Amino acid sequence: MGKRVATGVVSGALLAVFSLAAQQPAQNDSKPKTGTIGLYRNQPLAPDGPAPKMADGTPDLSGVWLGGGGNDADISNPRGLKPGEQVVMLPWAEDVVKNRLSKQDPEANCLPTGIPRGSPYPWRIVQTPTHYFILFEGNIHSFRQIFMNGKHPDDPDPTWYGNSIGHWEGNTLVVDTVGFNDKFWFDYKGHPHTEKLHTIERYTRTDLGHMTIEVTIDDPGAYAKPFTTAGKATLMPAAELLEYICQENNQDLQKLEGPARGPGGQ
Amino acid sequence: MRPLLSIATACMVWMASGLPALAHHSGAAEFDSHKKIDLSGVVTKVEWTNPHAHFYMDVKDSSGNVTNWNLELASPNVLIRNGWHRNSIKAGDMVSVTGIQAKDSSYYGNASVITFPDGHKLNFLSADEPAK
Repeated sequence: MGKRVATGVVSGALLAVFSLAAQQPAQNDSKPKTGTIGLYRNQPLAPDGPAPKMADGTPDLSGVWLGGGGNDADISNPRGLKPGEQVVMLPWAEDVVKNRLSKQDPEANCLPTGIPRGSPYPWRIVQTPTHYFILFEGNIHSFRQIFMNGKHPDDPDPTWYGNSIGHWEGNTLVVDTVGFNDKFWFDYKGHPHTEKLHTIERYTRTDLGHMTIEVTIDDPGAYAKPFTTAGKATLMPAAELLEYICQENNQDLQKLEGPARGPGGQ
Repeated sequence: MRPLLSIATACMVWMASGLPALAHHSGAAEFDSHKKIDLSGVVTKVEWTNPHAHFYMDVKDSSGNVTNWNLELASPNVLIRNGWHRNSIKAGDMVSVTGIQAKDSSYYGNASVITFPDGHKLNFLSADEPAK
């Protein structure tokens, strides 16, 4: 008798599962399972769903993402800024932008992009209780480390990615970075910065497949006032990072001519 | 959508202007969208490398003179995700190539579309048929 009950329960459960499975395709028909993400075609897309959390309730940002924090061609483009924000350069910085050449762009020289400039290549967040790592596929094949709940050193050496400490404000990871060198450009146009640069990034996973990224850029050495960019990233749920060693065969550099400008000349 | 917008915008610019949406440098600073190239010949070498894959091809002119062209593609990470394989093009292949030439007018170009004798095509970013 007990066996029959158990069989009946199992059968009922299987029936329920099959019924649910039968309903699933109809529910998902409206959303394509693959699509274009950035440059990449026919990519599996994240299903609809809420932003996941770790076992302790911390938002889980881990995964392979594509996107970034601002407009890489021109950081002053309003499409890459929070509404109402404006990039106001000091006069020397304006001169620098006018005179920079494409061949001088650190990115064209296979050097890091700093913050917040991105690339068309995916990157992965690896999340641990003490450190977050951002692994960049390109450009260049490098990484950032964010020390959770840490403290900036008193006199950090100036570096390409600076010294980053993170904390949570609700569901938003806030990353505070100082200690930058003045070498990277914010964009293809050549917007400069100084070692006084201080960035505050705000990463919010809004659902399973999407994240907003806002970056406040405060550099009194080059800009009249702070400004905040607004960007977004999309999860590439089936992607793994591939190797991209930019220095391997960079024939382009010697061919670049003319003033610094965006990929399509903008 | 903004960072993706910038990528999408770059793609649109690429498609509209013939200039490549390149990651690590400005395509407009390297290639002249007005210098169209249309080449046929034999592939002599393939470099499956970063920041760009390249292939080289011998092109014979009407006088019988042979010029070796160096043609650029996207990077292997982009090509692989878009259906290319490292052997999709190889030395000895007969191909026709349309694209644009470097600003310095050297035998260096950007391969927009590669057509094989059986009619199948590859393009700068992907192994898909180019949009008509």
